[in-house]
Amino acid sequence: MISTIKAMSWRMVVAAAAILMVPFAALAGTYNITVDPVVIDTGDFKKDGIGYNGASPGPVLRFKEGEEVTINVKNNLDVSTSIHWHGLILPFQMDGVPTISFDGIKPGETFTYKFPIIQSGTYWYHSHSGFQEPDGAFGAIIIDSKDREPFRYDREYVVQLTDKHPHSGARIMRNLKMSADYYNRVQRTAKDFFADVSKMGLGDTLSDRGDWGQMRMMPTDIEDLQGFTPLINGKGPKQNWTGLFKKGERIRLRFINSSAMTYFDIRIPGMKMLVVNADGNNVQPVKVDEFRIAVAETYDVIVRPDEDKAYTIFAASMGRTAYARGTLAPRIGMSAAIPKLTKSPRLTMADMGMAHEGMDHGSMAGMDHSKMKGMDQSKMKGMDQSKMKGMDHSGHNMPKKPAFYAPGSGLIPKAKNGGKFLSYGDLRAQRPLYKHRKPTREIELRLTGNMERYIWSVNGIKYGDAEPIRLKYGERVRFKFVNETMMTHPMHLHGMWSILDVGAKKWNPVKHVVSVSPGTTVHMETEVDAPGQWAFHCHLSFHAAAGMFRKVIVEGGPKAAMLAR
Amino acid sequence: MQGHGMQGQRMHGGSGANGEPGKKSQVNRTIKVEMHDNFYKPEKFSIKDGETIRFVVANKGRLVHEFNVATRKQHMGHQKEMMMMVEHGVLEPDKINHDKMMMKMPNGETMEHNDPNSVLLEPGKTGEVIWKFSKKVDLEIGCNVPGHYDAGMVSKVTFK
Repeated sequence: MISTIKAMSWRMVVAAAAILMVPFAALAGTYNITVDPVVIDTGDFKKDGIGYNGASPGPVLRFKEGEEVTINVKNNLDVSTSIHWHGLILPFQMDGVPTISFDGIKPGETFTYKFPIIQSGTYWYHSHSGFQEPDGAFGAIIIDSKDREPFRYDREYVVQLTDKHPHSGARIMRNLKMSADYYNRVQRTAKDFFADVSKMGLGDTLSDRGDWGQMRMMPTDIEDLQGFTPLINGKGPKQNWTGLFKKGERIRLRFINSSAMTYFDIRIPGMKMLVVNADGNNVQPVKVDEFRIAVAETYDVIVRPDEDKAYTIFAASMGRTAYARGTLAPRIGMSAAIPKLTKSPRLTMADMGMAHEGMDHGSMAGMDHSKMKGMDQSKMKGMDQSKMKGMDHSGHNMPKKPAFYAPGSGLIPKAKNGGKFLSYGDLRAQRPLYKHRKPTREIELRLTGNMERYIWSVNGIKYGDAEPIRLKYGERVRFKFVNETMMTHPMHLHGMWSILDVGAKKWNPVKHVVSVSPGTTVHMETEVDAPGQWAFHCHLSFHAAAGMFRKVIVEGGPKAAMLAR
Repeated sequence: MQGHGMQGQRMHGGSGANGEPGKKSQVNRTIKVEMHDNFYKPEKFSIKDGETIRFVVANKGRLVHEFNVATRKQHMGHQKEMMMMVEHGVLEPDKINHDKMMMKMPNGETMEHNDPNSVLLEPGKTGEVIWKFSKKVDLEIGCNVPGHYDAGMVSKVTFK
């Protein structure tokens, strides 16, 4: 019992105390949200969707750390709905996942969420029912810190990204199930084939095509949903969302990726960005030229325009099939040049997992290894070593750093201007939330899938057939993600923090989404400090729906921390 | 007592464009400074032209911080050196590895950090800078630990 109490994080103690103190809480706010059918206009097309208080994205909810919030959510749809408060630490009954946290909100009904705000930073909220989130049901959350922030800024903007598709979520899922490459427009063409023949010779070209075919994948499989218009705060590139500033000001931009499926590489030509917060938690400030935002992540950056001119916020999709664009300007109506999209990257054999150390190749279902012998393994090895040496130069006297891309991966990002591209490895907690300690055990989660049938799973088992993951209150679990697919998966654990292992021990950043690239193994640790049951899934909407999803049950824990059922 | 930083005094601003090291016997007044994550208390420094100030600097934060009196240009140069210190493991978020600091760099210089215009402190530590503001130029008191200056841990020195 004593050890259990010791293992409680200060946040848990705060949470328990906050609940006990509800009647005396000085700070309390009531918020009313309606869930409404809306029309979304991207500038390229109009479509029916779902929004909050009559718009998509919904209103920015602004809370204060220490506040007790009451949120009335009225469902004006003709189907059931829900709101999940993404990244918020709260009692599980308030987490908004139908069948796991509650029964959902039926048409015409109002559900009242009530929970204490025990954190600060940038977060978001979205429906956790069906494909309502891809259909537009999301908004931003800002929580002001009770303490002074470790950085200064004069003004702030939410920059919320999404990948708005002309098809409804349900229709997209049907099409993907019918044919996984239904929305893959950058397929290799006959022209590519002949270009490769002249470069590689007919035999190698045929063998290369055979390898990819056996994987049921293509080197262009970076985005399995294409044909969307990226939006910033609900505005398409032509509609040009604009934030105003005065020269010399520090502007805090709160980037939120609310896309269903799309990662973005973000830059503001002519300005450096100081990354100060990731997934709601402050990080030690790091200056970059560009950063990649996984689906469902948030990054806060501070920029300081020192000229009286417009700057373009340019967010290119990871597969370079589309871009979001907005503007920072001293006056309304100004704009700056829009960069051209660079060439689409191609997945490599490294993304197939060939360069993956410690990977159990025997367990890779659906792969024909005899076909893979045709690959030039010696070339791969040569590539590894040169890459590794290049990467290791700064770490000769430090423990081995985890790699967040497979060596030789086609997905390794580079800043367009040759400067600094943010890596997970750069992230350091500004103020660690937990004492660093040895994990009590490790749980391996292989991220698996069958692209041909559009089934995505964990350890080869899809959600419908899987047992829940059982955790014990008070333990610290080390999750080992082994990505055996060729797609990148942003893994999101509800209710508890994901401490991403970047090799910085107590300074490891504390996140709510951990992106796992193809052919890599990534570790995160979780202090199991939230009783109840929680969702744990890939945040790509169609991967989650296709089975890359688990229920987590936390057994034990103090009753005081739980709301009355 | 004067330091020999890895780029010599010119780069660190040991003396020159930003004023000169002050003598203990000539101190006009003492200013107590607290360093937090990532800002100074007080945030503004008002100095009389020619004054010698003794800054007693306490790091009350959780991270290593620097108190450095220099021109903006000198800060920029110093930030590159501090970045190198992080990359070589000399500087950890809350720790200064003094042994590594003495290692020779490829250019033959060490990363020793003891210039008279600055003090680099671990959390909980206190240090002192005695500086003579002999040049009425644009000066900033700033922390050049990577990211801190840009986050706003910098204060303009105004001359009365």
